[in-house]
Amino acid sequence: MTQHASYGEVHGPRAGEISRRGFMRRMLGVGVGILSLEFLGGTLAFLWPNLTEGLGAEITIGSATDINNAQPEWKNGLPYIYGPANLFIVNVPAAKARVEGDGSVSSPIEDPGTDLDEDLPLADRSVLALWRKCPHLGCQVPQLCDQSQWFECLCHGSKYTVLGEKRDGPAPRGMDGFPVLSVDGVYVVDTSQIVNGPPPGTVTFDQRAPTDMPHCTG
Amino acid sequence: MTIEKRPNATADKNAPTQAPDRAPMVSPGTGPKLPGPPGVPGTERFRLLAYVKQESMVRVDKRPDETLLTWPHLLRAEFLMAMLISGLLVVTSLWIQAPLEEMANPAVTPHVAKAPWYFLGLQEILSYFNATVAGVIVPTFYLLGLAAIPFIDRTPFKAARDRKLMWVFFLCLMLGGLLVTLIGSFFRGPGWNWVWPWEGLFFNL
Amino acid sequence: MNAVMRFIKESALWRSLFRQPYPNTSRTRALAVMNNVFLHLHPVRVKRHAVRYTYTFCLGGISFFLFLALTVTGLYLMFFYVPSVSRAYQDIQAIEASVAFGTLVRNMHRWAAHLMVLTVFLHMIRVFYHGAYKPPREFNWVVGVILLFLTLMLSFTGYLLPWDQIAFWAITVGTQMALYAPLLGQESSFFLLGGIQVGQETLLRFYVLHVIAFPLIAAIFMIVHFWRIRKDGGISGPV
Ligand code: HEM
Ligand code: FES
Repeated sequence: MTQHASYGEVHGPRAGEISRRGFMRRMLGVGVGILSLEFLGGTLAFLWPNLTEGLGAEITIGSATDINNAQPEWKNGLPYIYGPANLFIVNVPAAKARVEGDGSVSSPIEDPGTDLDEDLPLADRSVLALWRKCPHLGCQVPQLCDQSQWFECLCHGSKYTVLGEKRDGPAPRGMDGFPVLSVDGVYVVDTSQIVNGPPPGTVTFDQRAPTDMPHCTG
Repeated sequence: MTIEKRPNATADKNAPTQAPDRAPMVSPGTGPKLPGPPGVPGTERFRLLAYVKQESMVRVDKRPDETLLTWPHLLRAEFLMAMLISGLLVVTSLWIQAPLEEMANPAVTPHVAKAPWYFLGLQEILSYFNATVAGVIVPTFYLLGLAAIPFIDRTPFKAARDRKLMWVFFLCLMLGGLLVTLIGSFFRGPGWNWVWPWEGLFFNL
Repeated sequence: MNAVMRFIKESALWRSLFRQPYPNTSRTRALAVMNNVFLHLHPVRVKRHAVRYTYTFCLGGISFFLFLALTVTGLYLMFFYVPSVSRAYQDIQAIEASVAFGTLVRNMHRWAAHLMVLTVFLHMIRVFYHGAYKPPREFNWVVGVILLFLTLMLSFTGYLLPWDQIAFWAITVGTQMALYAPLLGQESSFFLLGGIQVGQETLLRFYVLHVIAFPLIAAIFMIVHFWRIRKDGGISGPV
């Protein structure tokens, strides 16, 4: 219907130009877009968990003496279970002695010291805070198994050494943990940042293979 | 029969030379220069645009067709279905008790920790593959793959033989999902070890 | 009796509610559907095969009906439930033990939820079987996939609320999968749980999502879904 072209045509800008109306429309679009993004960001920020206690905060565990009082076997290398934050507090020198002595320790270690720097290898630190949530699917890892001196998850059979290195099972890595600090001789665990467990295949201590000894779980 | 009143519409090539009885007939070509003032009743002139052999678009006589009135036909079907489902639901709920175990205790892991049944396929896959693949990539691919079906299969044909590839793809998703879900639900026990259903059921709804 | 009925039906109140007599002619039946806000989700006329039970098996309709049933039973349960780790479990026990019809309502809510997941899947399979995702219905299929996801999320968030061992460990295991995301896995799990592990914050988060956020979003998408069915020319034809 070429003879009626004038009916529907809007006088627009020349090619390559943008009309004032087009410009305004585009700016409006951009504005609404930015606003939506801000709204989304604000929503995320608002809903971000706000933790002041429990797991996520800095948790005071106590001095070496406190821990030994709470659990006398700590000096013999059996990890201390700190319930409220679901942690194993490992007395590393004692635990190493326990594994080497296959469950028995000739000279108990009351105070493992304050070598807590995160750059140190796990085996050279004084104290470790291992999280009892299995890195596989989150089951609770039970206390050290007597037969193997490993942590053995009941759910799907992942097995970890006393330092949390993975030795067997479907878990993607070793047990996760948290940085430990010493404040005036009192151990404090900073649970605000999870330290992922060592990748599978890391062997810094305890060379035994899963077939070498009896286990608590199949 | 379609008749257009606008005087300057383009001529229709299919207009029959012989017009039916009552149609005002105007020969093609005289259209644009119609005499007579516009808008004065009785002076407009019409031209034939098309002669359609079928029934007209607007049906005057209502013959049975391929549609039914929503009230009562569809509403009756919906009502009966709603009653049936309500009945089933009440009877089931009187008869089968929803599970409730001991109170949640983070310190006691049960021997079998299973996700809800619709995620057990995923949990089963998680025991085969690397975690990122099974836990994230597979479900993402599953949903995006489903959503993409209409944009991959662009042909208008609906018969199964005309969309074999899609059928294979869809059946893989469905049957694969069903298989791993069944295994995860009924064939996995403590330690996620294989257990035959008759040796013990480890399944919660 | 008739006089009473006539009085009621001729009252201003009745006639302001119902603009027409009982629909028993084609004209009034069409008007009944058009003039009612709920019925007019439907077109006035539907295709003959659309009301055959064996065409749709009513699966979409059943899913929607279950959604409504879940809304009602869920509302009932909310009157007796507090989303707190120290109360939630006892509240469920109390609903079962001392609320009239409490066990029935809880069971209905739970079984309807499981059934809905099932019917939504079956509905999707039926739609695929008929090739009903083909143009012009592509977008409605996508809306459907979103509804499938929302249905799963509704069910999953509800699963935690009884706060028993099944709930706790199922959600622990289920949310742990989010930790495996290649990017921001830890952050998304932290966000989802409202903390590092399943606890009070998780229960509150899941509760809010379960009773408000997801039902609202799902309802909006269902409206779009139904509207689209009409705009795409009603339900598709047989293969
Ligand atoms: C909450 C979940 C859902 C509800 C309540 C729902 C509801 C419905 C209803 C009532 C219909 C009418 C026809 C019938 O009953 O089959 C329908 C049709 C349809 N649904 Fe859904 N649906 C849901 C999920 C889905 C899903 C998961 C998909 C696909 C991925 C989907 C795709 C479609 C399509 C494409 C149609 C048109 C079918 C046709 O024209 O034959 N829907 N839906
Ligand atoms: S949760 Fe520990 S092995 Fe699966």
